[in-house]
Amino acid sequence: MTAPGHRKRRERRFLIAAPVAAALLLAAHPAGAQISLAGEWVGRYHEDQSDRIPGDVQGDFTGVPLNDAARRYAEAFDVTRVAVLEHQCQPYNLPHIYRGPLQFRIWEEKDPQTQEIIAYRQYLGTYMQWRTIWMDGRPHPPEYAPHTFMGFSTGRWHGDILTVETTHIKKEFYRRSGIPSSDLTTVVEHYIRHGDVLSHVMIITDPVYLTEPYVNSQEFVLLERGNQNWLYNCEYVMEVPMPKHEVPFYLPGKNPFIEDFADKFGLPFEAVFGGAETLYPEYMPKLEALMNGTAQ
Amino acid sequence: MGFNARLLLAALAVAAVGAAQAHHSFTATYFEDRTITIEGKLLQFMFRNPHSFVHVEAPDEDGNLRRWAVEWGGAGQLSGQGVTSQTLRPGDIVTIEGNPGRDPGDYRLRMLYLRRKSDGFDWGRRPGETFN
Repeated sequence: MTAPGHRKRRERRFLIAAPVAAALLLAAHPAGAQISLAGEWVGRYHEDQSDRIPGDVQGDFTGVPLNDAARRYAEAFDVTRVAVLEHQCQPYNLPHIYRGPLQFRIWEEKDPQTQEIIAYRQYLGTYMQWRTIWMDGRPHPPEYAPHTFMGFSTGRWHGDILTVETTHIKKEFYRRSGIPSSDLTTVVEHYIRHGDVLSHVMIITDPVYLTEPYVNSQEFVLLERGNQNWLYNCEYVMEVPMPKHEVPFYLPGKNPFIEDFADKFGLPFEAVFGGAETLYPEYMPKLEALMNGTAQ
Repeated sequence: MGFNARLLLAALAVAAVGAAQAHHSFTATYFEDRTITIEGKLLQFMFRNPHSFVHVEAPDEDGNLRRWAVEWGGAGQLSGQGVTSQTLRPGDIVTIEGNPGRDPGDYRLRMLYLRRKSDGFDWGRRPGETFN
């Protein structure tokens, strides 16, 4: 039996202790409130399909805020250059790899003692690439550190959006038609999950080839049953017979395909090659004037 | 929906998931609005990623023998369509239809249809026989 006085004191102690215990429990699981990104994700290609799957028409430079250096590079670029032995198995770099056919896996790396997330790991089926997104607050390495195709990434949660910043990326391309990316490229990504759909937004900055950030987005869907097709055994072979050491290119002004895209879609080449100005709604009157021949 | 139809849909779904990333743009590399046909002796079959290649000795439009490089699907994608590294052998006589490369000096094609004379094996006309 318990005396009424003792029971009241015990109830008071419980009323004080319960909220404290609850607060301690919540504090012990700071990452538990975050939405999970773990799983296997596969692309949905309704957005920019023709660019991302069969490939862009030669001379498609739309949608990218390219600068004059990028224009000169693109003019000289022969798309068959990727058939040269050294380039056949070259992976797409970070700002490019999410833009093609892709499935990737995300999993969490947790500290065994605290169960806090140290990092998100990714395996990307295309070119069998691995990524680590550090969540433990570590700094990015110094400028002279080696660059890789996936770069060095750190992440932070903003509500339910995982924001990732990546530096130390190897140079490659933003588009297969020859819009180059430099090794000074940095990328900010946002991972936004809506049920079984993952929106992936990239904001790409490149002081060498872009005049302003290049923004794009793509959607991925959760693979419920998974599949076994995760390997990409690329082998170097002589795809097309060509003299050893030959690198396909065009001299300035000699690229016969540079206006193919403009011709195919009936657009002024100036609009296709115009860079940042052409990305905004304010450009529409100018485009209209160019197309009906009333431009100043 | 019958079992065969379900099987076909499932196969197409798997093929779509396992699509190999083209390391270049087909549209930019080939004239997709043109088709030519060559017939000749298969010299080499490179079953690989990112794309397989078939080299064939066949005459050009002037009758000169050329080594044609015919680009096909990646090994992963073709495997889902029943093609293996042993499907074609050097010496096979084949007829190939394809999109010609933009540089006529390359003698390259993008595979649209292939038929082997000796046993009638063919690829490219059935649903799902495609690649990216």
